[in-house]
This record gives sequence, structure tokens and C-alpha cells, in this order.
Amino acid sequence: MKVNLHPKEGLLFNAFMLVFIIHSIQVGVGLAGLPRVVYLEAKHDAWISVFLAGVITSFVLVFMIQMLKQYDSADLYGIHVDVFGKWAGNSLSFIYMIYMASTFFIILMNYVEIVQVWIFPTLPTWQLSLVLILLVIYAVYGGIRVVVGVAFLSVVGTVWLAVVLFVPLQFGDFTHLFPILNVNAKQLFKGAQSTTLSMLGFEIIMFVYPFVKEKQKALFFLQIGNLITTITFTLATLISIVFFASNSLEKTIWPVLSMFKIVRLPNLERFEFIAVSFWMLIILPNMCLYLWAASKGFSRILRKKQKWGIWVIAMAAFAASFFIKSRYQMNTMTDLVAKAGFYLAFCYPVILASIVLIKKRFKRKESKHAETS
Amino acid sequence: MFKWLSGKKAEEPPKAHSLVLEELKEQIKTELNVGSDLVFRTMKRDGEKLILCLMNTLIDSTKLEEVVIKSILNNKETEWTCESIAKVLPMVSITAVNQLNEVVAGINQGKVYIYAEDQPCGILADINKTIERGLEKAETESLVYGPKISFTESLQGNMNILRNNVKDEGLCAEDLTVGNRSKTKAKLVYIKGIADEEIVKTFKQRVQDLTLDYVPGATVLGQYIESDSWSVFPQLMTTELPDRVSIALYRGKVAVLMDRSPDCLYGPTSFFAFFESTEDVYMRWNMGLFLRMLRLVATFLSVLLTPAYVAVLTYHYEVIPSPLLLSLGESRARVPFPPVMEALLLEFVIELLREAGARLPTKVGQTMGIVGGIVIGQAAVEAGFTSNILIIIIALSALGSFTTPSYLMGTAIRIIRFPIILLAGLWGGIGIMLAFCYFIIHLLKLETIGAPYLTPVYPIRLKDIGYSFFKLPPQYLSFRPLTNRTDDKERFPSKKAKQKRDVDE
Repeated sequence: MKVNLHPKEGLLFNAFMLVFIIHSIQVGVGLAGLPRVVYLEAKHDAWISVFLAGVITSFVLVFMIQMLKQYDSADLYGIHVDVFGKWAGNSLSFIYMIYMASTFFIILMNYVEIVQVWIFPTLPTWQLSLVLILLVIYAVYGGIRVVVGVAFLSVVGTVWLAVVLFVPLQFGDFTHLFPILNVNAKQLFKGAQSTTLSMLGFEIIMFVYPFVKEKQKALFFLQIGNLITTITFTLATLISIVFFASNSLEKTIWPVLSMFKIVRLPNLERFEFIAVSFWMLIILPNMCLYLWAASKGFSRILRKKQKWGIWVIAMAAFAASFFIKSRYQMNTMTDLVAKAGFYLAFCYPVILASIVLIKKRFKRKESKHAETS
Repeated sequence: MFKWLSGKKAEEPPKAHSLVLEELKEQIKTELNVGSDLVFRTMKRDGEKLILCLMNTLIDSTKLEEVVIKSILNNKETEWTCESIAKVLPMVSITAVNQLNEVVAGINQGKVYIYAEDQPCGILADINKTIERGLEKAETESLVYGPKISFTESLQGNMNILRNNVKDEGLCAEDLTVGNRSKTKAKLVYIKGIADEEIVKTFKQRVQDLTLDYVPGATVLGQYIESDSWSVFPQLMTTELPDRVSIALYRGKVAVLMDRSPDCLYGPTSFFAFFESTEDVYMRWNMGLFLRMLRLVATFLSVLLTPAYVAVLTYHYEVIPSPLLLSLGESRARVPFPPVMEALLLEFVIELLREAGARLPTKVGQTMGIVGGIVIGQAAVEAGFTSNILIIIIALSALGSFTTPSYLMGTAIRIIRFPIILLAGLWGGIGIMLAFCYFIIHLLKLETIGAPYLTPVYPIRLKDIGYSFFKLPPQYLSFRPLTNRTDDKERFPSKKAKQKRDVDE
């Protein structure tokens, strides 16, 4: 397998698009439940935890870009092979691929669950998941160009939902926020760790990097994307804390969706029906990007056509959807993926980047030695 | 799909025709089986023999008599040879040929074949006459404002109109032939120095690679050279307005005009280009902007309103505030069907009205509209078939779809409503969103002559939004649309437009 990928000129996209890719993949099913999850750990200072998580993410992004910069135009699969050799590298790639495929699956199942809870309690899981999977396959078949387009239009099409989020503020009580910084650092960091599921997604840069046109600008736009996400998440958490009484936030599984309930227009009530439907547009790019990256890995590792990868992973996800029957299983699975995500997306890239940097330095020294001697 | 299949048939070996007049006659007769349409006129002079072969349904007989025969007869000095005849004919387009197939093809195109016996070759002289209708107002794209002239079926006439509109030395008109059997003439028109050569090349390649017996018109040609023939959305624009083509040419687009077709095909046209009307250009920019936004909103509502009604009334009636729900419930109280059936029924009626109105003569069509719209609508409500509110919604969405300037796009929008209504009936809001997501992906996948279909929204060209999505004051449109990758980027110097006078200067 080649370390570097050199896609055709027409497949490259502007670095500017990374803002939308990163933002759209981070905002997903995680956001709906984010305030509660963090609140359980960091109490009314949850919003600080979320912000902290955003800052940590931006540091991880720096590491990722530093690692990617060492290569001409490589993705994680290529780097694995370069650093660890064929067998070990491919095995690591395979683990990463499985992780991305399961994230795809988790997003899908979480959305289906939201739909079942909020709109159609009797809708069979397989029906909606099948249709969604087919939709995603249709998108991924168009390649990176269409996938990035979906990410872009998803952000443009759902940005107004963020404005609606401010409506609950008029019923809020800002005293819920005080006293600020009343929890200890451990709780804050635990809260930050619990945002993992929502923050996840930025690792996609390690796979789309070869397709970025102006690679030197990538970091800048990545940080902007991450910044927008962090602000969105922090605001959502802040508003939830202000809006909900403390013990009711603990019991509300999807506080962001619940807050939509109180939006009221002269000819429209119960806004959450619209919000839940629109959530599909929010999760669509997540699923597309994850399926794209995972299937890319499939074709890179196994040297098959990417189309095969798409079908194999999608059908595996569909088959797996039959095994999840209860909320309890769903929870375990989500926690598992979140934990895996914490190690694979936050910790692992930092370690790998250090290895790559050290290795490259050694090589440079060696070649220098070779030149001088 | 199949249109890229190439591979030409083996051509027959060229064959010179007989030198004897009687045999030549027989040869042409067997080749062209057209009965009395085929006319031979033999002339004799001092043992010299000359024959004129022509198709009398295709030629201008005055031209034949006044120009061809007269000048041949007047010339008494020289013998009848190929060169001497060519010399005396006061005409521009004459060719010397001797191959039977060329002769037959020439006669078939309305030329006269002049052949003196025992000469090595004869002469084809063009005396073709085509019946044309006069210039009329555009029928399919009606306008309040702006030039009214429209294309006709004659390629020459159309080129004349276009050349008069665009008096630019850079205006190129390359010859193309469409249809292996019909050999319809076509012209690829673009402005050199503005149009991107890559686009010109792609466009030309696609038309040339077409192996088809016959293409009935530019609209059909468009369908054959589109990249996705499964889609409902038209990917190339056809118009019958010359000024529209001129504007497009100056924006760097490439057009194809076909003989016998009153439409001009041009591209690349993005999705939003189909919502542009020439009127937006002729109007002041703020009015144009308003009208364009109106059209986009109307289209959006037209697609969404009926499905939303179905979704809300079938599944999510909680969404409607109770006072409104009361009146909705009242009006639906007598309706025995589920909302999907009700909506589909009424949409069907509207489509029937539209189709019947389009097929009937104008006068009857109007009556039809009134009878159908008012009587059926009123009666349907009274009979308890549908609710009042649905009638309003359906009428609104029908109106909305008619605001689209392109008839093809309007039809596409009406068609995609049906699957969305069905999905809304099946899964409510989730169904509508599914359809919405599907169409987003679908539109992202489409392309028009190698350019993305959703520009300037994706890939984003912020500057171009002033051209196709909004409309800006004229001084800000100093550049040509970026998406067309034009060679000449500026329409006028942007600095000049931004010069401002001081107070009392």
C-alpha cells in the first residue's frame, strides 16, 4: 500500500470546507444529550467543562496536523504502514476502521432511538435504519465531493436551529450558573471527558487531509471549525443549565430536544417534532463521513474496491441493528464507543504524532550523517 | 448511458456515376425513390446534351428558372463543360462532384445537379428553399418586459437574429451535424475569449460522439448529452429567447442551435439558473431581486406545503395550536379519506387541469381552467371530498410551481411533490426530511457539462451568488460568473464603477 494518496485534481476541495466538515461531524446525536451528561459530572459548571474539552480538542488537532505535515499527502492508513510496517500498521488501521464503522452504527442507532422516543414509538428499528443506510450509501457513492457537499449543506441548512436555541433563555434563571467554578478540577476534567462522544469526529481530518487543496491552511480552518463547535456546545450547555432546574436536568436524557418543546409560533407549537426531523440533516454528514472514511480504509487495507467497503460496512451495521433491542444495550454500546473514541481520537493521535516526529527527526539526522560521512 | 457508444459503420466504397444521361437518370431514380418529386430536365444544343436533376419540392423554382437555366441558355459562346457552366452561374455556393452518393445527397438537400454528357464531373448548385414561419412572440417563456422576438425553426434565421444581437468578432459558430441519418445541421455558438475552452470542448465532444439516427430538436439533444439521464431535473437549459442566449453567451456559456428546432440549448446551467428569468435582468436590480426571491420561496413552498399538511394532519397534529386545529378539524370533519389520499386526489385533479389546459386550444383552455378550478374545487369541498384548507394549499403550491421560468424545471418540481407526499403520509416529518436529504444528495451528484450542478452554493462561489441567487446593483457585477471559468474575467473595470463624486463636485 502506498503511504501517500494523490487524488485527482478535480477531487480536491478547498481548505475552507474543513470548517464545515469538522463542525458538521462534531455536531450530531451527541449534542442532544450533551448538557445532561456533562452536568452529571461537573454540575452547574458543566459549560466550563465543555469549553475545556474544546480547548483540549484544538490541541489534539495541532498534533494531528503536525503529524500529517511530515508527509506529502498521506492519511492515517498510510502513516500506519509507514511507521509500523505492513502487518502491524494494517492491524492498527483495521482497528481504527472498526472504530469508525461502529461510530457510524452508533450515530445511526441513536438517531433511530430519538425518533422512536419522540415521534414514532412503534416504528420498527430496521425500517428507518435501512432507509437511512441506503441514503448514506447513495451519498458516499458520489465520493468525497458529494460527502463534503452534504457536510456543507447540512451546516447551512441547520444553522437556524442554533438561533431557536436562544428562545428558552427567556424562561431561564441565570442564578443557576452561580457560583462559578464551585467544583474541583477533577470534576471539571471528568466533565470534559464525558463530552467525548459529542466532540468526536475531528479525527476525520486524518483521512480527508490528502483531499485538501491548500494543505498549509488546513490547521487554521480546522481550528475555526472546532471553535464554532465549541461555542455551540458551550452555549447549548449554558442554556440548558439556565433553563432546567438542577434535578430536572439530571433526569432529562435529551435536554436540547426538550428545550425545543417550548418554542411557540402563532401557527406552530411543539417545535421538537420539527427539530427531531431536522436532526436527520445534522447526522447525515456524520454518517456519510464515517462511512466514507471507514470504507476508504477497507479499500486501502484489503485492496478491494471502495464500493465493496461501503456495502460490507453498511450491511454489517444494518445486521447489527437487529441485535440492539433495549435502551440498556444501546447505552452500553454508546459508552463503549465513546470510551474507544477517547483513546483512539484523543490519546492515540498524540502518541502517534510523537512517534512520527521522533522517527522523522532520526531519519533526518541519519541522512545528514550519510551526507557528511 | 448508451450515447457514448461509438464505432462507425463501414462506408460504401465511393462510386462515380454513369457518364450516359439515361443511365444517370436511372441511377438517381433507384437511389431516390420519391416518384414525381424528382424532376429531370434535359437540354440540347448542337448535339450537346445537358441534364438538370432536382427535387421540385425542395427548390425555389424562380431561382432555378431565372438564375440557373437562364444563365446557361444565355451563354452561347462556349461548349457545355463543367468549367464553363461553373463560370456562368451567378451563384455563391456551387460544388463540382461526380460521386453518385454525393449527387444524391445534394439533390436531397435541395440542390440542382447540372451535368453535361461525357464530362468528368457535374455541378451542384444550391437553390434550396425552406418554408419558415415568421418571427413571433415567445410562447413558452412569456415576458412583461424586454425584447419579444423569439427563435424560429430555421437555423439560418436564428443565427441571423443571434448575430445581430451579439455583434462581437469573437462570436464563433462551429458546424456540427446531428443524426447519422437525418444529418440535421447544428451550430455550436460561443464567444471566443470569454467561454472556457474546456467547456467548449466538452460540449462539442458530447454532441459529436452522439451516434443516433435522428434527433427531433434541441430539447431532445439536451437529454442525450446530459450526464445523468435518470434524474428528473433538467441539466441543460433550453430557451426560445435570443436575448437570453446573448446574455448567457456573454457570461461565458456555450450554446447549440439546431436546424428545425425553435429552441436553443445552452450550458453549463446550474440548478439556480433555472429560476432566473430575463426579466430579472431588465428590471431594476431591487425589483429583480424581489422577484427572484419570490420565485425561490414559491418553489420551496410548492414542494413543501402539501407534504407538510399531510404529515401534520396524519401524525403530528400536536404541532398546530389548538385554535387553528379547531378550524382544520372542522373543515376535515366530513372528509372520509386519510390526508394522503385527500392530498393525492387533489394534486391529481390539479395536474389534470393543467395538462388539459395545455393540450386544448387557448380559448377552450381558459374556460377549462375556470370550470375545472372553481366548479370542481367548490363541488369537491361541498361533497366532502376534501377540506377547504387543502384546496388553498394545493392552489398555492400549484401557483408556486408555475412561477419557475423554465417549463422543464417547473414540471420537475411538480413531479417530485408526489413521492414527497407519499413519504409524508408514511413517516410524517421524518419522511419529508428523508426526501429532502435525498434531493440534496441527488442535486450534489448532478453535473452540467462537467460543472457542478449546485453552484454557486456548492462548491461555494460567494461572488457568483450575486448573479444567480440574489441580484446585486449593476456596479457590483463587474466580473463574469466565476463558475463558468471565463477567460476574460471582467465585464467592465470595477474601479470605474466605484468612483464616487465628492459633495458638490
